[in-house]
Amino acid sequence: MTSGPRRAAIAALLALAAAAAFPLSARANESAAGSKEDPARAITSQLICPCSCGEVLSGCTCEVGIGLKGYVDKELKAGKDKEAIEASLIAKYGEVILGAPKAKGFNLVVWVAPFAATILGFGIATMFLTRWVRRKRVVAVGPDGAAGAGTPGAKAALDQLRARAEAELREMKE
Amino acid sequence: MSEIGRLSLLIAFLCAVFSVGSIAWGLRTGRVGLLRSGRNALWAVCGLTLLAVILIGRALVARDFTYRYVAEHTSLDLSPAFAFASLWAGQEGSLLLWLLILASYGAAFLWFYRKRLDPFYDAVAMVVASVAVFFTYLLAFVCSPFRMLANPPLDGQGLNPLLQDPGMMIHPPILYIGYVGFIIPFAFGIAVLLMNRTGTRWIEEVRRWTLFSWMFLGFGVLLGARWAYVELGWGGYWGWDPVENASLMPWLVGTAFLHSVMIEQRRGMLKTWNVALIVLTFELSIFGTFLTRSGVLTSVHSFAESEIGPWFMAFIIGSSTLATALIIYRKALLESENRMDAIVSREGSFLFNNVLFVALTFATFLGTTFPVVSEAVTGAKISVSAPFFNRVNVPIGLALLLLTGAGPVLSWRRATLSVLQRNFLLPTVAGILATLASLPLGLHGVYPIVTVFGSAFVLTTVVMEFARGLQARKDVAASRGAMAIVELMTKNKRRYGGYIIHLGVVMIFIGVLGSSVIQKEAHRPLKTGETLTIGDYALTLKGTEQKMEPGAAMTSAVLDVSQKGKSLGQSRPSKAMYFKSQQPMTEVALHQTLGEDLYMILGGVNDDGTVSIQAYINPLVSLIWIGGIVMVLGTIFTLSDRMRLRREEKEAV
Repeated sequence: MTSGPRRAAIAALLALAAAAAFPLSARANESAAGSKEDPARAITSQLICPCSCGEVLSGCTCEVGIGLKGYVDKELKAGKDKEAIEASLIAKYGEVILGAPKAKGFNLVVWVAPFAATILGFGIATMFLTRWVRRKRVVAVGPDGAAGAGTPGAKAALDQLRARAEAELREMKE
Repeated sequence: MSEIGRLSLLIAFLCAVFSVGSIAWGLRTGRVGLLRSGRNALWAVCGLTLLAVILIGRALVARDFTYRYVAEHTSLDLSPAFAFASLWAGQEGSLLLWLLILASYGAAFLWFYRKRLDPFYDAVAMVVASVAVFFTYLLAFVCSPFRMLANPPLDGQGLNPLLQDPGMMIHPPILYIGYVGFIIPFAFGIAVLLMNRTGTRWIEEVRRWTLFSWMFLGFGVLLGARWAYVELGWGGYWGWDPVENASLMPWLVGTAFLHSVMIEQRRGMLKTWNVALIVLTFELSIFGTFLTRSGVLTSVHSFAESEIGPWFMAFIIGSSTLATALIIYRKALLESENRMDAIVSREGSFLFNNVLFVALTFATFLGTTFPVVSEAVTGAKISVSAPFFNRVNVPIGLALLLLTGAGPVLSWRRATLSVLQRNFLLPTVAGILATLASLPLGLHGVYPIVTVFGSAFVLTTVVMEFARGLQARKDVAASRGAMAIVELMTKNKRRYGGYIIHLGVVMIFIGVLGSSVIQKEAHRPLKTGETLTIGDYALTLKGTEQKMEPGAAMTSAVLDVSQKGKSLGQSRPSKAMYFKSQQPMTEVALHQTLGEDLYMILGGVNDDGTVSIQAYINPLVSLIWIGGIVMVLGTIFTLSDRMRLRREEKEAV
């Protein structure tokens, strides 16, 4: 890279680091109270309001939701931990109250399948890519720039490469 | 009037059937007259659907309660604008809007290609007409909006309060323009297979149609998020609701197609894959409409009871089976040279990006439909909501963010080690610096760190690409500064439009990071004169107000808002109780700045006279909306590539 673009990129980089630092620093000195680290929120953000609204409990503003949030607060103050509170809610409302099903039994499928599919997809893509790269003919080019052993086939391949390079250069100019 | 409406939909159905039959027969026999008749019949479908929309729209605005649809979705207290918007509040009206947009796309297609005599374009029109057959049938025979009531009520049931928002006036039509627009790429893809057409010129036309729909769908999704943010009152904008997911899925697959189509255009590869993506995008659009309108899954959007579910399922299964059979039948046509110089290349990165987009779609589809599947298998009801999607989709999304940075700086065909060093060094250093800067500032956890690193990486690659382009043009262009950038961009709108879109994506990622990871929340009941503190803000309750709005009684909390002791004025978070539905609705009070939003909700007035106030600080949330607008602008810029278009038009003629 020449000096102009490099300078521009370094300037952009510094600006970016400053930009990234600015909004975060504004929040750095604040306490965790009421934030995502709030233990009540850690519980309610994983639950669904059992009424028909279907909202995540932490953000639910319906009467049932507000009542349940109060229940979670009360249980926490009484010294119960997350597991105990969740268990009592599941006992009352069933597993439907959990925002994500437990990874056991048939419900394991929903947790495993997306990642399995992603890995499988990557595997298939890599397999195809490898196969396509292998198909590419290798043209041996001698030190003087002439094609391999000077065979007609190699010369034609070299001409083909030249034509492709010229076409790509034209495309770049456009 | 209702008879005219019913008749117009019936004739539209017959015209759609005639269009398909006439074009099919014309293609078989080569009779130009039949092809022309088929095209004209598609124009007629558009005109007749428009007539039906005008008739039902008139009845809605006039509150003619002899129409069942009008009685179910409007009331006398609605403003004329909301009364008209009730067209897309219910199942029948939504389907009519779907059909109108479908027929309009058909008409636009016929207009744009009116000078093309190639029967291939008739085949495209035939596919559009085939889909119109399905929708006209539903509206004429299964769920007509022109059904009448023998004993009309004096007043209607009213519009769902959630929909009585200006955002809802435009969100559904914009979303539908996106959804339905994928019909044209689908029709092109099927026509290529039907007509056994070789060549890649059609793919550029499909790319433009796809970009157009993709832009509208993305903008519609964003409008929906904004609507949820200001109207639902839970402090967020994306709840992984089934209907939100339904609109996201075709957008994701459409995005995959817009990347992989570049490989086909440059290298003649991935033909089968691209046709499959086009078909999948369209099928997911239909699936989205099915989810929204069939009520098959419970969500805030499922207002209507299903009478169309089985029809939609049959259509989705039938059309996707036919399309798959065609792809298999025309396998030879789609065979590609499929030779690559190296795995580490832009082609390779696009292929992996496609894998991630499809995986993200699959995860979203699975999570959305799994409660129904699980209940059918185990008999127990479960929920699959935001906690699941945040755990499964976020890592896949972050991998995509990293590829968004890597793709543009990898060379086509082969990225050598020196190219990798040259192009990756600065973005990587920028990513590391940004990450290090974020660590001592309270941002921790793998996902936030990867988001910061990825965002910095992508931004730096975009800046580098601009810098490199400017450097390359320095010798041939005399202009400097902003003009040089404008000239650079206009020389290759497609490339630089893409980079603008990537910038928008990064803004959205940063906005999501800020508003989710470092969101703050405070809530408690307040007596008059008491103050709730959140971050730098102090909210002091001055009292409550009651007032009557059309159709609703409004209760507001009057809050004096200050930041670091400086007054920001009064805010009034409210609750509206709608008389018709007896449904309480939250009206959020927002104090918005570029850096953060102060989001205030009235929980309610308690029996002891206290007022429950809930407040959030959502940092950087404005970047989501700005990023969305940047993406739209980038797409418009890309679509304005008229020089390329004209050149291709000339070649075509």
